[in-house]
Amino acid sequence: MAKTKMTPTQKSQAKWGLAFVAPTMIGLLVLNFYPIFNTIYQSFFKTGDFGMGNIFVGLKNYATVLAGNNFWRALGNTFKYALIEVPFSIVFALLLAVFLNRKIAFRGGYRTIFFLPMVAAPAAVAMVWRFLYNQQFGLLNNVFHTTTAWISDPKIAWISIGVIGVWSIVGYNMILLIAGLQEIPHDYYEAAEIDGATGVKQFFRITIPLLSPTIFFILQTRIIGALQQFDLIFMVMDRSNPALPKVETVVYYFYTTAFNQNNRGLGAAIVVTMLIIIMAITVILQKSEKKWVFYN
Amino acid sequence: MKKVRVLVSVLLAFAMLFSAAALADYSVDTLEVKIWDNNQLAGLQEIADLWTEQSGVKVNIQVVNWDNYWTLLEAGATGGDMPDVFWMHSNNAEMYMSAQKLLDLTDYIANSDVVKLENYYQGITDLYSKDGKYYAVAKDHDTIALLYNKAIFDKYGVDYPTDDWTWEDYKAAAEKITEASGGEVYGGACNTGNNQDTFYNIIYDFGGYVISDDKKVSGWNNENTLKAFEFMGTLFNNAWAPQPMLAENGKNILFENNKIAMDTEGSWMIREFYDHEGHEDYAWAMLPYEDVNGNGQCDEGERVSIYNGLGWAASADVKDPQAAWDLIEWFSSYEMQLKQSELGVTMAGYIGCSDAFMNAFPGMDISAFLKMETEGTLVFRPYSKYTSRWEDQATRDLVTIWNDPSTTENVLNTLAADMNDLLAQE
Repeated sequence: MAKTKMTPTQKSQAKWGLAFVAPTMIGLLVLNFYPIFNTIYQSFFKTGDFGMGNIFVGLKNYATVLAGNNFWRALGNTFKYALIEVPFSIVFALLLAVFLNRKIAFRGGYRTIFFLPMVAAPAAVAMVWRFLYNQQFGLLNNVFHTTTAWISDPKIAWISIGVIGVWSIVGYNMILLIAGLQEIPHDYYEAAEIDGATGVKQFFRITIPLLSPTIFFILQTRIIGALQQFDLIFMVMDRSNPALPKVETVVYYFYTTAFNQNNRGLGAAIVVTMLIIIMAITVILQKSEKKWVFYN
Repeated sequence: MKKVRVLVSVLLAFAMLFSAAALADYSVDTLEVKIWDNNQLAGLQEIADLWTEQSGVKVNIQVVNWDNYWTLLEAGATGGDMPDVFWMHSNNAEMYMSAQKLLDLTDYIANSDVVKLENYYQGITDLYSKDGKYYAVAKDHDTIALLYNKAIFDKYGVDYPTDDWTWEDYKAAAEKITEASGGEVYGGACNTGNNQDTFYNIIYDFGGYVISDDKKVSGWNNENTLKAFEFMGTLFNNAWAPQPMLAENGKNILFENNKIAMDTEGSWMIREFYDHEGHEDYAWAMLPYEDVNGNGQCDEGERVSIYNGLGWAASADVKDPQAAWDLIEWFSSYEMQLKQSELGVTMAGYIGCSDAFMNAFPGMDISAFLKMETEGTLVFRPYSKYTSRWEDQATRDLVTIWNDPSTTENVLNTLAADMNDLLAQE
């Protein structure tokens, strides 16, 4: 058979198609792929100042990362954070989405309010919460007449940080879930009602299964996001905060190693290790998808 | 005839002025300058604008906060896009000098009629030189003094700090205030990051040290350093505010909100307190001393002020090195160093220009800062090539001591071992 030749129209379409994706492709290549490979490359070196005089050390940086307590402690803290942020932000978002999908007064207003934290810069959000939590001058302690050290008591600081995380992301999850809810055909509910199903039963038998693709998407992106948590801790916790060892995440540990301690090679090894962990979790999640995600 | 001669010389002088201006033929019309202290911006911009008037080159000074400043400068140095002229600090100078990232100023200084290195603080000049070459000119120097709130002392009937105080007097007064106020107000405060303005001074007063002169050995486990920490251990919680409080609020914030009665602060912070609404209650005394030899008076080395000085440096690949140097020379000249003092920006890097600074804050007596220099002992801020590596670790690990002084010896030994490792790698 002869090679199928492109018609002039197809050719032109392909050309324009390429032209349109080019900015994104170039952006990805320059801003994502190049740094990723550069980071992997650096992780095998004892890095010199200003990118000069790197000395190849093989897997030594990785050995340091895996042998030290700091990485494992930071990894534990990261999972603790994810354990608060991911489930709570999804459950709250689901409840909000169901309520705000009904026809109630000021629906748009509520949706906007819950989505607002997403619009604010994360650093600004963190600063505001830092003021709210402040033990001496903060609003929380003033209103409740307490003297709780919300962010410097090692026992509760991780929860306080988690609360900020949930608050920041719940609106975004809610919007995604509302979009998912609107995809569900109304006939199902009508049919269920005729068959005598209660609201709760409808929720668990119709809403949840049909929302599962959206929930899966949120779960996956939020787990990845939570495992990369950095800015909240960086902005809220001072370097001398006694609760910091209980809260600092892997990315925070990477940042202080690479920038405060000026050890880029070790820092690179930390993030590459984290990359591998996140990839493994993603693979497991993808495998589990078939078991519980229901595609209509 | 005489008139003619005067006229001619005046004309000649003018001609020389113009030719000087014409000689300065710069290839740029703007210089980008980066600094990290917002309190100094207005004064420095005023000084820079005077240079613009005669050079025709605009000077654009931008403030970037301390942490981001170094991230930005390093990224710039790596990628070849540094600001033209900028501040250098003892924490990082060595790293930039060894990597040849700073413009070599040696020849410019040698040919300059304005900058004679013997006029600047020796410690600062040494800091910014390497292998006989000079990379920055001293911009300023700083000392530390004791700030106190008279209203709080009056309220609890405690005598004001004096220049004869020992650290034990300080402790007694601080404890009295904490106790009398029922913990509402603390005597003083010090966080683990308050090294230069607080606990470094105490370490050196007690005869200890942080880093050896050859920058090879850590002094964390020195016996006198340990004595200083043992003394500080008796201050935590009774005389000094609890550490978690400081992790959430800088001690200047606590002072300004009447949560602490005394605060050791550097001369770079005077503007901050002077501009505060409560400043009428604020007064300064010299830092207390430690009577190590027990003779009842303050001797050499018993009242230490850790000092530091920023330097004006330029990028090694600055587009117009002559313009960059001319601006640095302008900032460093006697007249402009004096002006920097007069405007209350900072004390000068030029020796003998700082008296004017003492008068820059009408209504507030800050002579304690100058007395620290004349009556106390100046010790240069401890540094090495990678200062921030061990300094950052100390900021974190000392938290354990602050919250539980019984761990002092263990923590200091670990810090010393780690710091010695880091120094060996430099």
